Amino acid sequence: MEATAIHALLQSRFGDAVLDYVDSFEKGSLVAAGRVGEIAAFLRDDAALGFESLMSLAGLDWDGYDTAGKGKSVDILGYDELGRPEASDRVGDGDLGVAYALYSHRHGHKHTLFVRVPRAAPQVASVAAVWATAAWHEREAWDLVGIRFAGHPDLKRILLDEEWVGHPLRKDYVMPGSWQGVPLDGRDYAACKWDEAGVTLPDDVKKPDDPQQPGNGNQG
Amino acid sequence: MTQDRKDYVESVTPPAGYDPRREQCLDFHVAEDLAAMAESDDKNFILTTVDNLFDWARLSSVWPVTFGLACCAIEMMAASATRYDIDRFGAGAFRATPRQADLMIVSGTVTAKMATRLTRIYDQMPEPKWVVAMGSCAIGGGPYFKYGYHVVKGVDLIVPVDVYIPGCPPRPEVLLDGLMRLQDKIRGRRGGTKPPKWVADYASKIPYVKR
Repeated sequence: MEATAIHALLQSRFGDAVLDYVDSFEKGSLVAAGRVGEIAAFLRDDAALGFESLMSLAGLDWDGYDTAGKGKSVDILGYDELGRPEASDRVGDGDLGVAYALYSHRHGHKHTLFVRVPRAAPQVASVAAVWATAAWHEREAWDLVGIRFAGHPDLKRILLDEEWVGHPLRKDYVMPGSWQGVPLDGRDYAACKWDEAGVTLPDDVKKPDDPQQPGNGNQG
Repeated sequence: MTQDRKDYVESVTPPAGYDPRREQCLDFHVAEDLAAMAESDDKNFILTTVDNLFDWARLSSVWPVTFGLACCAIEMMAASATRYDIDRFGAGAFRATPRQADLMIVSGTVTAKMATRLTRIYDQMPEPKWVVAMGSCAIGGGPYFKYGYHVVKGVDLIVPVDVYIPGCPPRPEVLLDGLMRLQDKIRGRRGGTKPPKWVADYASKIPYVKR
């Protein structure tokens, strides 16, 4: 079944809960966040759809885009060339979201559900009861993007440590300088003045290839 | 067989400049001592020091801890398998507990979560112990330097490193070469082969994060 036909079927079944047809690389439907659970159950159980497989569940960050999808992708923060975390005063805006990539082995068609939630309160109904594999994927989306899944059996971080602060794949995430005493920001390269140190290689230093030089592993 | 392959045909005559002594791992002039002993009237003892003897024993049996973090560990496994056979250098006994190991080969990306475990393994190893930073991730964060929110930018920020092996990942030959450099370091650990003054000057200028 074509994605447009699946979208029309969803629209006739759920009405206002199906907001828009998404004509991106993965064809799909944008649906209301509060009704994901029943739409997911319908997609799985309906004989004509038969989406028994959730291939992937991904958290999204539309930072820099408005609700109509207009805007420009923002530059994410990293570490500068000296290994220090880059700082910015910019506050993230734009919605967060979830993408559910579905596949039907019976019918050989696929469809993607998109959900858009406000950044201030990113909460989606869990589909772990519909597809069991969603339990871990939702934990990952919570861990890295920070989306709460209501009704999840065990919503905690899956990759990062449970005491980690923040959600690193959000586009306004600021890189940590250290974590629990573990340095993450590199050396203080700025203090490293190689040229001003006045250390030069003397002419009489034996070259590393010299077999007579101890420490080269070449002595007999 | 192409013309190029002819260069790799083994010859019974060694190439020019070949020194058979370079094949030996066991030095401290053991060969000379043996020759001198054979020619002398006292043919039943060798003079050395206990330190030299212990160093020779240590460098001849560097036991690494079984410990791999990422794709560099695959190359480390290849180095320990038959084709490269790290056991030729006495370092083939990968111990399953750090309490029996001398060497920690940090083979891969050190994440913040793993860093605490890594320091715990290092602390559990008995002295004397050595650390090899294998690959660009362990040396300085590697490709995760810019956006690696969870990557330690060099394992020498958390444990002292003896030998750095660059590469992404380093080939097994380079790991073996790094092991031989480590054996050199163990060999010259006391007296005699201090680093030259310019090396010490250089090393003193390398900045570290104050913690």
